[in-house]
Amino acid sequence: MKTAVLSCTGLDKPEGSVAREVAIRMAAVADSEIVCPVLLNRSLARYKKVFAESSLIVVDGCSTRCASKLAESLDLKIDRKVLIAGALKSSGMTLEPTLRLASNGEALAKTIAEGLAQSFLAPAPALPSGASSTEFPLPGDYMVVTHDKFEFRIPAAGYWFNENDVWVRPIGDVARIGISDYMQQSLTDINFVDAPAIAQAVEQFGELGTLESSKAVFEVVAPVAGTVVAVNPEVISNPTLINEDPYGKGWILELKLSNWPGDQELLLNSDAYAKTVKHKAEEA
Amino acid sequence: MTEATFMGVPREKIMWHPTIDYAKCTFCMECAAFCPHRVFEQREGDRRLVVANPNNCVVFCRACSKTCGPDALSFPEKQATIAAIKQIREQESVQ
Ligand code: SF4
Ligand code: SF4
Repeated sequence: MKTAVLSCTGLDKPEGSVAREVAIRMAAVADSEIVCPVLLNRSLARYKKVFAESSLIVVDGCSTRCASKLAESLDLKIDRKVLIAGALKSSGMTLEPTLRLASNGEALAKTIAEGLAQSFLAPAPALPSGASSTEFPLPGDYMVVTHDKFEFRIPAAGYWFNENDVWVRPIGDVARIGISDYMQQSLTDINFVDAPAIAQAVEQFGELGTLESSKAVFEVVAPVAGTVVAVNPEVISNPTLINEDPYGKGWILELKLSNWPGDQELLLNSDAYAKTVKHKAEEA
Repeated sequence: MTEATFMGVPREKIMWHPTIDYAKCTFCMECAAFCPHRVFEQREGDRRLVVANPNNCVVFCRACSKTCGPDALSFPEKQATIAAIKQIREQESVQ
């Protein structure tokens, strides 16, 4: 499929210039369409055809995420997001303090554009992104915490929680990870899942990607240590599955456990999590 | 309000809250509008935003920093905080 890149204009911060450069390079190496945010804001019609035919990549310079917010306000379906400030941090590079693109910025833009082009033009075959062969039975019974007119469901057994509202369901040495019904309701409709890469290792309470709704950006705090072995492809293409079925079809990823049951010491069982949810709902 | 705990440790014993880098902050107030836990407060004067209620901050949450364009919010190292929490838990269970 063709790609289109909506990027930051690059007129506020050096990171923005890199975002803009990524769009220009993608046009050169992947024949990608450039979507000008200023024009898009004036005239959605101008890009109607482009959006119908292409996967949309959004490149934000900084965490103000103007390009993402514009896309969300126009209800555009985003297939991939890049945050230059984040990529910059993980690269360990620093940018020259100028809006005119200099050599470090150019190098970073080149790396990002090439990575994007590669993943869109030649998707690696047999990427282990789907579910593992482990069977994860659905929760049989639920406990329900009520507050005002709200009801928050918690599986009665088999699930463990951290206080950051992330659940883990271990079966053997693999575990599924997702967010609780309470968090799903607090976030409202989730419109983007930024999942970690397969084979990435994570410590307990480390970061396992982020979820975005129009209300918030939520960091998925790892309830257990392990290595990412699968990401739920259905949740990536349809993030509201997390809202619809947070403990079942809305699972986010699977980890190969590296410190279970040791990690359990710092987790809550269903009863304890129910108390936590009650407390949080009363305070909110 | 009941006393707040995190993993069984009194909240005020855990160091976890955002720190504002005033050299970078533009006082756009995105973070204050974003966080539902009343951690930030607006003030008169030069420093128009302060971390007024650090213990209201949800331990290990860093969400507001993801709304901050100038990257002016920082947090402690998670590993150090986890080690401190484990240590307090051990001390308390010994008693
Ligand atoms: S979001 Fe960042 S720049 Fe804006 S007020 Fe908060 S700390 Fe300051
Ligand atoms: S880290 Fe989370 S809880 Fe703490 S101030 Fe930021 S948004 Fe609020």
